Amino acid sequence: MNETVRVRVVQLLSVAALLIAWEAVARAGWVDPLFVPAPSAVARALGRIGAAALAGLGETLLKAAIAYVLAVVIGVGGGILLGSVRPLRQAVNPFVIALYGMPKILVLPWIMLFLGFGATPAVVYATIHGVFPILVLVTGAVRDVDATLVTVARAFGARRWQLYWKVVLPAIVPTVLAGMRLGVVFCLLGVLVVEMFAGLRGMGYVLSSLANGFQAPELFAATALVSAASIVIVLSLDALNDRLSQWRGDLR
Amino acid sequence: MNKQIVLIRAVILIVMLGAWEIVGRTANPALYVPPSAAIPALGRLLTLHSYPDLLEHLLLTLREILIAYAMAIAAGLGAGFALGVNRLVGRAYGPILAALYAVPAVVWYPSLMLFFGLDAASKIAFGFLLGFFPITLAVLAGIRQVNPQLLVVARAFGADGVTAFRKVTLPAMLFTLVGGLRTGLALAVIGVIVGEVLGSKSGMGSLINHAYGLFRTPDYIALVVVTLVLIVGSDAVAALLERRAQRWTE
Repeated sequence: MNETVRVRVVQLLSVAALLIAWEAVARAGWVDPLFVPAPSAVARALGRIGAAALAGLGETLLKAAIAYVLAVVIGVGGGILLGSVRPLRQAVNPFVIALYGMPKILVLPWIMLFLGFGATPAVVYATIHGVFPILVLVTGAVRDVDATLVTVARAFGARRWQLYWKVVLPAIVPTVLAGMRLGVVFCLLGVLVVEMFAGLRGMGYVLSSLANGFQAPELFAATALVSAASIVIVLSLDALNDRLSQWRGDLR
Repeated sequence: MNKQIVLIRAVILIVMLGAWEIVGRTANPALYVPPSAAIPALGRLLTLHSYPDLLEHLLLTLREILIAYAMAIAAGLGAGFALGVNRLVGRAYGPILAALYAVPAVVWYPSLMLFFGLDAASKIAFGFLLGFFPITLAVLAGIRQVNPQLLVVARAFGADGVTAFRKVTLPAMLFTLVGGLRTGLALAVIGVIVGEVLGSKSGMGSLINHAYGLFRTPDYIALVVVTLVLIVGSDAVAALLERRAQRWTE
């Protein structure tokens, strides 16, 4: 058996063992089913809340997608601007870093005061969450584009747009992808936090209202659903990333 | 040149504060608090006029952070080394951990609230959870960085397991490990504060929520400033320790 297969077997067996042990412990009554429901009960609960949870998930994903597009556009655009204009970068960078490091949760109440309830504060908060890692990474990547390449392109008479399109953009693609990988989790997180804090719809609201109602099996089912969705999203971004870096001919 | 940049930054800061002041004076006072109103609010907060029990809340938040971080260090180092000693185990569980790390952590918080209630325990659990992952992943990454040949040489020269770990493994991975510990602290702090804001009866997050709920926006701004000082202070301590550890490796 080669190692990859062995790794997969160990992974599957561990997850199965965990689920079986959990089921056994729950059935034996060692834990309070009010707080720790058996996996079988969680599966049944998934059937019960499936439609409502999927609707909530869809709404959350839609808000996260809008925020994500905004974060990528602003982050990459701003990063290219800050990365290529040195005086601007030097003047603004400390503020960007400070905002990047600041826990965004502290400004959430203020955003809520401003924008009220509904989808807008979630999109805005998630955009703020997602934009900074992308902005910071892209700024660095543009700043560090090989100066020789730029000089050569200039010497061969490249116009400004050609310089960006043919030299800068290809050089920063891996960083943009890395930033996008980070950004997607941040955007999802942002939407979920707002929905939990003061949402009336969406997955975050579903999760917090299930917790408030002490509906543990339903809560676990909904948690598993949103976790699975985010793992699928991130893994497919990773796969896309691999595909693109093979296409660029990177040595790995 | 350098002076010029500092000057420009100062000008930007002053212009931003000035714009904030002008907008804040004319707009709805529940939304915009001009700096001239925020500073007295901060004064009232620090002299314990707006919240007489500020210190208790501050200490509770601090205690939650410290407990969560201590648990995250212990469990993160334990799990990291347990998974790192065996190649197969590491390769099997590393990706599972990485996949779980890709889940926006806040989805676990309602379950923790259900399980641990509204008090400090659920905040500690959430801070622990957030801090645990980067520490474990840093240990795993650090172990991979150790040159196995160095270990073989050390063993050949008669070093026992403990000595080999202390003299070869630890110095080689320290850089990554300390970085993970610093990230872990930052995330444990965020976990505790997010937990408090999302639902609690005491702690800085609950005060922030209280001020926001009553439209006491100047007090809210002042509380945010105090919380930020706590966060920045903890990160500064971590940065200091990080530099100390890096110097030790060199």
